[in-house]
Amino acid sequence: METDKLFDEYYEKSLLQGGTTCCPGCGGPLFWRMTLDALGPNTIVYGDGPCAMCAIRNIKLPTFGLHFSFVADGSTGIVAALAAKGRRDITVVSSAGDGATGDISFGKVSAAAERNENMIQICVDNEAYMNTGIQKSGLTPFGAWTTTTPLGKENPKKAVPMIIAQHKVPYVATVSVAYPRDLKAKIKKAKGIEGFKYIHTVMPCPTGWRFDPAKSVEVVRLGVETWAWPLYEIEGGVLKLSMKPKPKPIEEYLRPQRRFRHLTKEQIEFIQREVDARRQRLLENDGKRIIL
Amino acid sequence: MEFTRMMEGNEAAAWGAKLSRAEVIPAYPITPQTELISHIATLIARGEMKAQYIKVEGEHTAMAAACGASAAGARVFTASASQGIAFMEEALWMPPGRRLPIVMCMVNRALAPIGGLRPDHNDALLQRDTGWIQLYCENSQEVLDTIIMAYRIGEDRQVYLPVAPCYDGYFVSATAIPTTVPDQGEVDEFLPPYKHEMYSLMPGDYRRPPFPLNIAKARYEVQKAMERAKKVIEKVDREYAKRFGRGYDGLLEEYACDGVEAVLVTMGSMTGTARDVIDEMQAEGKPIGLVKLRGFRPFPTEELRELAKKYHVLGIVDRNTSYGSAGGGVVAMEAARALYPLDDRPLLLNFHVGLGGSDVTMRQIRYMADKVLETLETGKVEKEVEWVELLDLGEVM
Repeated sequence: METDKLFDEYYEKSLLQGGTTCCPGCGGPLFWRMTLDALGPNTIVYGDGPCAMCAIRNIKLPTFGLHFSFVADGSTGIVAALAAKGRRDITVVSSAGDGATGDISFGKVSAAAERNENMIQICVDNEAYMNTGIQKSGLTPFGAWTTTTPLGKENPKKAVPMIIAQHKVPYVATVSVAYPRDLKAKIKKAKGIEGFKYIHTVMPCPTGWRFDPAKSVEVVRLGVETWAWPLYEIEGGVLKLSMKPKPKPIEEYLRPQRRFRHLTKEQIEFIQREVDARRQRLLENDGKRIIL
Repeated sequence: MEFTRMMEGNEAAAWGAKLSRAEVIPAYPITPQTELISHIATLIARGEMKAQYIKVEGEHTAMAAACGASAAGARVFTASASQGIAFMEEALWMPPGRRLPIVMCMVNRALAPIGGLRPDHNDALLQRDTGWIQLYCENSQEVLDTIIMAYRIGEDRQVYLPVAPCYDGYFVSATAIPTTVPDQGEVDEFLPPYKHEMYSLMPGDYRRPPFPLNIAKARYEVQKAMERAKKVIEKVDREYAKRFGRGYDGLLEEYACDGVEAVLVTMGSMTGTARDVIDEMQAEGKPIGLVKLRGFRPFPTEELRELAKKYHVLGIVDRNTSYGSAGGGVVAMEAARALYPLDDRPLLLNFHVGLGGSDVTMRQIRYMADKVLETLETGKVEKEVEWVELLDLGEVM
């Protein structure tokens, strides 16, 4: 009863309603709770389509969406309407999943970045088309099982945050729900910057990644600790690593997820080498301008 | 101040958008619409027009941005053509379903690959089921006037639907005629600022049209809005005519129809040519009239049934094809459905002409008109559907 009361009180104040249509263990409600805490009530959230929107259906702010293949476009219109009305006090957030951002609407995100539209574009990355039942996207990592890559994905994950950064947008950041303080600080910073801000968040998906729903936060924390999911910002073209943990073996991140259970020793070693090499490059460029 | 000068359809459309005080214009260039958006860009650059012009990267985004802006309370204008309209098809279903009164000019052009850059109506007719109001314009003046009216129609609380003023590429878009640009103050009085009674995306005032869980009911609401739009189109047209001295008879216009028993039915720029042919033929004592179909969506079913009481033969001219259809072009099929329940049905002829943008010549129109009169005489339909361009009419093309 005491817990009920706590929840009631919390959701009274929160911009997220209690209850959710998401799968158990989905990172969505957690992410939006933190993000909306950071953004405050003067916000319009744009986006539609499967997983990325499940949590948004329960938020207490104005939302507008069209369909899965519409990313950063309707929000461009909202931004223009606000500009026409002289409303500079409202933050526009556009949200989409990895498949929408990196595949079908990639051109739209790129174009909005090029036009430097004044919005926060969020990529909610659960590394596959999860709502349609776990199909490979351009952001599915190497080796991961999905229903369309039954033997594991053959190619590496598309590096969307780095590509967006090359558009010379003012702000790009990666975040994880396992690090709420870092996440909120980055969202708040994005809110204060004029122009196109890109936030790429990992979205733990017990359904598609095949792990115990109780372990969502632990799994994505391991992602950061093994450097599978490095946290960084690119502000004004300068890379800044948000944390540089002592690297844990990649196997610790892969093992709890049954989407990786078919991987051979050699494949895991290959992934380790890739992660190590990328960590090395990130460390070498930390604090440096990476946009040419 | 009102003024008149030579103006192409695309420039007239830009003036229509300016006078309507469109606030957000997301657009992507495509022939033959390009001059329209460059005129708008110029008007904005000169400071003569105040609008947010978004230079989007494709038509799909143009329509999506239009939806976002309209939902957020801005009056939105855009334009496209042909492949562009086909490319934005997915997005075109959004404004009717979301009840957003966007205005988009469809500058008609044939679709690839069996077409060219020139006009036919298949691009717009492809969108007939989406819930967009479609009004076909004959010349620059009608384009300008229809855009202003389109906002009054779409933003009417009885309607809340998007409106597409359609006009033929080149024959209208790039043909200059003397065009009167009305006074801004008069337009402001005719067209008050946009305010959606059902919609607001503003924090603290968030409202969205109720979406019935029953899908059929939600669709039926769009259908009812479309039906109500007929009266609104006529009312707005009358008011416009009263204030500005130019009206277009709502959904369809009867031209030189006094005492005739048979008519040709045309849509778009070919109507201008047809007027001349009909005048000539009447001077020769041939009793044939002309009906210009202006509204294709909503389709003027009742109006057509009224015509059927007076005219025994309708020759419907279709500047489009529908491969493998029940018979003939899209307009003819709609007309047949409208007329079928009548006890005393007129005879129906259907002509395909001007496909892929080839000229619709006076000789072709005369041929079709003669066929209509022949049918009136014999009382028998010799050929239900005729591809006029396949005939050798002795013309040098």
